[in-house]
Amino acid sequence: MPFRKLLGWFKGFFGKKKIIRLGLYGPPNAGKTTLANKISIDWTGEPVGTVSEVPHETREVQKKERVIVKVGGRKIVMNLLDMPGISTKIDFEEFLQYGFSAEDAKQRAKEATKGVIEAIKWLENVDTALVIMDSTKDPYTQVNITILGNLEARNIPIIIVANKIDLPDSNAKWIEEAFPQHPIVRISGLTGSNIEDLYNAIAKHSK
Amino acid sequence: MKNPSINIELEFISSDILEEFKGEEKMQYILDKIKDNKILVMEESLSSTDEAKLIEATMRNISEKFSGIEVSTLREKQENGIRETIIKLLGGKTGGLTVIGPSKLIKQIKKEPKRISVLAEKKQSDSEKNSEE
Repeated sequence: MPFRKLLGWFKGFFGKKKIIRLGLYGPPNAGKTTLANKISIDWTGEPVGTVSEVPHETREVQKKERVIVKVGGRKIVMNLLDMPGISTKIDFEEFLQYGFSAEDAKQRAKEATKGVIEAIKWLENVDTALVIMDSTKDPYTQVNITILGNLEARNIPIIIVANKIDLPDSNAKWIEEAFPQHPIVRISGLTGSNIEDLYNAIAKHSK
Repeated sequence: MKNPSINIELEFISSDILEEFKGEEKMQYILDKIKDNKILVMEESLSSTDEAKLIEATMRNISEKFSGIEVSTLREKQENGIRETIIKLLGGKTGGLTVIGPSKLIKQIKKEPKRISVLAEKKQSDSEKNSEE
């Protein structure tokens, strides 16, 4: 119907709320799904995905659509995109250590490779990226550098999340020193510590 | 118990060789050598886009025998800086270095802004251990 089309155009032109595609990137076991669940539960009451100590638990992009975050007088509507962890290696034998049968381990490894490819393909389809790093580990890895480099090349706003600050050997300063060019928020996705800082950063930097 | 000798082959590759390849060919050339258990030192830094393509190509090549790569790149300056862009436009090389090897062979790759150190070790997989028993 032409009237509806025209109305849609006016709404779009005069400030209809844009939905931000917020991608959560990082290596496996950095705490992406834990954080995605925290954000989603805070604002919708429902989780996004399953958390596990087994690497590559998230093997497909998991979405939570229309998450409305209210922060500092602003209302942000976003689609949360929890990405599979990006890695340069996947060894099926690693899964055997977690009690998988050889057949299941091979299947999981196969699915994990597809997940990594999917996460890379999504790099050009997010509006803002949270790059999650485990603050107990050396952040200056090629995977982190590759993720940041690809997002920078596409001018996608980046917020680095120094996660797991609840752990005794956390060293968020390490991340701040490695990547001083990006905003960094120290949080614990598990306990929710400093999560408000992250919401403020999303409101400030996202587009 | 057998204690086999360990041979680790390093191959240094000039950027002239890599220039001959286009797109996916370059990634497959690199991966074919790595699957042959070589550690490559390349006379160029991969761009971020190339790194992502290499990870994608690696994932497509993963099998029971090949579990992936370890990679590290040193860039001389900012990848998209004005100086680098002009040099590239004029057909020049911006320098840099990339070290890539099979993950089964590289125990640790430590990266710093101006230094890469590689610790290689021939690890025996569970399936190799089982075949010896």
